[in-house]
Amino acid sequence: MNHSALPPVRSRTFFFALLLSIIWAPASDARTTIIDDSGTTTLEPTVRLRWKSVAPPRSGANNQMVGLTTVRVHLNVLRWLKRSGRIYLALPAQPPGPLTATWTAEGRLAAGQVHSGTRTLIYSGPITAPFLDDVLRFRFTVDGSVVRRPFPVTFRFEFDED
Amino acid sequence: MHALPSARSAARSARGTAGHSRFAAATGLRPIVLGAVLLAVIARDASAYTLTLTPAAPQTVYLQVGVGSFTKNYNVGGVPGNNPTINVVSTSVAAAAVGNGTAQAMTTDSNAALSNLDGYAFCNVPNQLYIGGFYRTSGAPTAAARLTATVPAALVNASGSTIPFSQIQWTSSGNGDAGPEVFPGGTFVSGGAQSIGSIASNQWAESCWTFSYLNNTVPAAGTFTGRVLFTLSSP
Repeated sequence: MNHSALPPVRSRTFFFALLLSIIWAPASDARTTIIDDSGTTTLEPTVRLRWKSVAPPRSGANNQMVGLTTVRVHLNVLRWLKRSGRIYLALPAQPPGPLTATWTAEGRLAAGQVHSGTRTLIYSGPITAPFLDDVLRFRFTVDGSVVRRPFPVTFRFEFDED
Repeated sequence: MHALPSARSAARSARGTAGHSRFAAATGLRPIVLGAVLLAVIARDASAYTLTLTPAAPQTVYLQVGVGSFTKNYNVGGVPGNNPTINVVSTSVAAAAVGNGTAQAMTTDSNAALSNLDGYAFCNVPNQLYIGGFYRTSGAPTAAARLTATVPAALVNASGSTIPFSQIQWTSSGNGDAGPEVFPGGTFVSGGAQSIGSIASNQWAESCWTFSYLNNTVPAAGTFTGRVLFTLSSP
């Protein structure tokens, strides 16, 4: 009698464990790693910000400043070779204030837009080569009312493995 | 990266010293080698790219009294230029009316009726003179740019007779405007610098002035002229 009660308990435990593993599976897959982009270079070391509109409006505000630059992106994805994942361009929130970057690419990576404190998908799929290269033409937009002097802008590339 | 060669040499020396304990030595080394590889990967991956953004030519003032120069309207990418034209505001007073105290309307040779901001028909020529501009500066809002007029003591005719500049006044308006004008009406103060108004940082300001000659004096006959210089100064 007691023997007959054991199997159902084991079965429930198994399914409970299976359920847990299913619930936890996405968390273990969402591992984010910063990609080695040490081979990345820019054609213009300093991005010159200009007024988006030369003249301001009669009232209200149009204080956006824009700057253009070209970056030769060279990402070392050797460790994910023959695996699949997603690559994001991340723009951390940083001084002097909110920033938006838009870019075009030459085909290997996707064009897109990112705001301070967020990231945007630029590649999804298998990694078939140890390095991933593209040329991104950036357009940075920032509120001119927070810009008084030169300031650094840092962004990074992140890899989420499938 | 730098840790890897030392791990390899450690493995080599382990194999060389004890052939009989080969298996045990190899398993013991795995954590060392693995640890070295992980350290190398982590060190290499901690990277980000940094650019420097620099405000270029962030402070700009533009003033237009009468006609001005813009490649096209600013809201479609127009760029202001320098226009050396000096416009004239004038009136002719009939002999019978000279000095009778009846203000005489003045007109201008300026044809600036449209705002260079957006092409809006803001002023009515030849009765009104356009006066406007903008002040651009980056960073937090600053004090306004100040517009002043440097006014001679008098208008002068060919024989040296004079009419005080204070005989000229203006009202201020603009098509579609409601409320006070940024460059309000007034009367010239003879001789000296006179405050005309101000432009807040990162704003475009404009008005249309309608001049009149007060006609309170009886000057000698002739054509009287004088030039007022307008200056926009940023802080």
